[in-house]
Amino acid sequence: MHYYPFMRLLLVEDELDIQSFLRHSLEDAGYQVEAAGDGRTAEQLAIEGVFDILIVDLGLPDQDGISLILRLRQLGVKAPVLILSARRSVDDRVRGLEQGGDDYLTKPFALAELLARLRNLLKRNSPPGNETTRLRVLDLELDLLRREASRSGQIIQLTPQEFVLLEYLCRNAGRVVTRSMILDQVWGMRIQPDTNVVDVHIYRLRGKVDGVGQQPLIRTLRGVGYVLKDR
Amino acid sequence: MSSRTGEPIMRSAAWRISLWATLAFACGALFVFVFLHRFVADDIQRRSDAWLSGEVEVLDDVAERTPKDALYGRVVGEVAELAAKEVPNKLPSDSSSNDSVFFLQTGIDGSLKLWVGAGNGAPNLKAIQASHILPDRPTDLQVIGFAIPFRVISLRAEDGGRIYLGLSERDELRVLRSLRLRFILLWLLLVLLGFGIVFFTTRRMLSLIREITEAASRIGHSDLSTRVPTTARNDEVGHLARTLNRMLDRIESSMHQLHTITDSLAHDLRSPLTAIRGKLEMSLSPAESEQAESVISAIEELDRLTEFLNQSLDVAEAKADALRLNPMEIDLDDLFRVMIDLYEPSMSDKGLHIKLRSGGSLIIAADAALIHRMVANLFDNELKHLPPACTVTIQLKAENDCASVVLEDNGPGFAPEVSPHLFERRVKGRESNGHGLGLAFVDAVARAHGGTVAACNRDGGGARIAVTLPLAPKEALHKLAL
Repeated sequence: MHYYPFMRLLLVEDELDIQSFLRHSLEDAGYQVEAAGDGRTAEQLAIEGVFDILIVDLGLPDQDGISLILRLRQLGVKAPVLILSARRSVDDRVRGLEQGGDDYLTKPFALAELLARLRNLLKRNSPPGNETTRLRVLDLELDLLRREASRSGQIIQLTPQEFVLLEYLCRNAGRVVTRSMILDQVWGMRIQPDTNVVDVHIYRLRGKVDGVGQQPLIRTLRGVGYVLKDR
Repeated sequence: MSSRTGEPIMRSAAWRISLWATLAFACGALFVFVFLHRFVADDIQRRSDAWLSGEVEVLDDVAERTPKDALYGRVVGEVAELAAKEVPNKLPSDSSSNDSVFFLQTGIDGSLKLWVGAGNGAPNLKAIQASHILPDRPTDLQVIGFAIPFRVISLRAEDGGRIYLGLSERDELRVLRSLRLRFILLWLLLVLLGFGIVFFTTRRMLSLIREITEAASRIGHSDLSTRVPTTARNDEVGHLARTLNRMLDRIESSMHQLHTITDSLAHDLRSPLTAIRGKLEMSLSPAESEQAESVISAIEELDRLTEFLNQSLDVAEAKADALRLNPMEIDLDDLFRVMIDLYEPSMSDKGLHIKLRSGGSLIIAADAALIHRMVANLFDNELKHLPPACTVTIQLKAENDCASVVLEDNGPGFAPEVSPHLFERRVKGRESNGHGLGLAFVDAVARAHGGTVAACNRDGGGARIAVTLPLAPKEALHKLAL
């Protein structure tokens, strides 16, 4: 797995069940996790320690998650925040925060999606690296300028949409991506179709990328999503 | 829905009200004048008649006393001339010539004996002989050569002949004419002034109502926080505005309650779902174990349950007109092209064809997340229910300020038992494995945006679903272009 060592994360979540599984999964993913069950504890922890990223649930017992975030910002906490919300509609205030560089995720969510969003937030905050024009995963190579993919030197004929999908998988090589992440990132929609539309796209792509006799790269993790193997 | 400011003034209620009020006022004023005119005319007539009968007696007296010699004609003539100067209603300027009064005396045989007046008196005598003039009763007499009739009184002279005194009605008519002229001018002025006053007061009053209407139509499905403008005055309009605002207060509070209920319901269900899903996923991660298959299907079931929960609450809120919208501009043409791109492989795998007929960019102002899910629902619906080798045709076009989306297929159409209830919750065909919210959700989203959905079976077989959504206002389009 690809993870960020020594990333300190503050998890603010009052439901102990959710707190404990999140703590475990985040620690598995390589984060150093401090957890708080209410706003007051979270504030204290945030003052005492330095965190790289925060996960804040909106429904806290002692205060509103947004007030907590605004208060932490006043206290000088600059780390990006991933907001967890069990509410149905996204509040305008959450939208405001989202524009300020933070992100939100509605419950229930897939762990893969949570991890992907955390990575995105951390990436946004780190200085931009060199924009590459080529992506390489094992023997798969993508030329981002000419929009061409090749495997072991052999050009793969892809439609523009398939190229975007493959590019997304390559950029997340080694990590799980869920169907809703693919829909969001490749087609720009936060929808949850109850048909297998994404799967069909993946099957077609796999048919082109993983030819006969080659090592299969695109793997399906049923119930979770897909992963492009990088090892 | 909303009243527009550019509509012609002739069609406004203020115009109609002023027109009717003015008409009533004008008729009333005209009636009063006709009455007054008659009264004045009668009075003038009475005065003339009184003068005539007084003068004719004087003349008769003079004629009787004056000896019938050569001077007789001159004496009576002088007296008649003098009398003519005292004619009632006479203008002082034309006192020089006497054409308003004549004096005529006939002999026993009816021949002209004495004439005082304009002309030689022959036409007057002829007219008198032609008409039957009763003694002591003033009568109207039309004389050839004179445009205006004379008022004539006759008296039997002592010698058996008759004397006639005629007074032209010219002055009388002149007075009445000038009265009429003045009245008409005054009447026109009053009517115009009255119309103006009524028009501007009603317009002012109605413009307040128009403002209320416009404000009320702006208070959409999702935004209940604004209020209609109120005035400080305690009249009907002010009362209307305050009543509307109180009603909006109550609606807002019950809407708020509904939101609180759905939110807490969603929250109370989602937190355990999150915990369960998380734990299942964790148990899955180490390696593919024996139980993996059942865990995977449990996760998939959970995701379907979550989606069902979301859609149920959305449909429930939409049915109560309480769906919260975050409108932005969406190009339906773009959206359908992306959706077709997304669904085409699944459709062709099933042997289905999909065709798009679009007249180009079609921009609506709508909640992107809801519209995306609505369109995905329409596609899912076709994908799930059509047998192989069918074709879905999607037509996009603008129609009277609305975007029209028509989906037609040549499949089996809707089953007769579900056709009447297509947009109700939990309605699905016998072979459907969905949760029966698809079209109810489409209907809910369309209605929340002020649109409509209609579904029917086509004549030639197959189903037809037509969705209309209001186009984005032109101003917004303009802003986008800038």
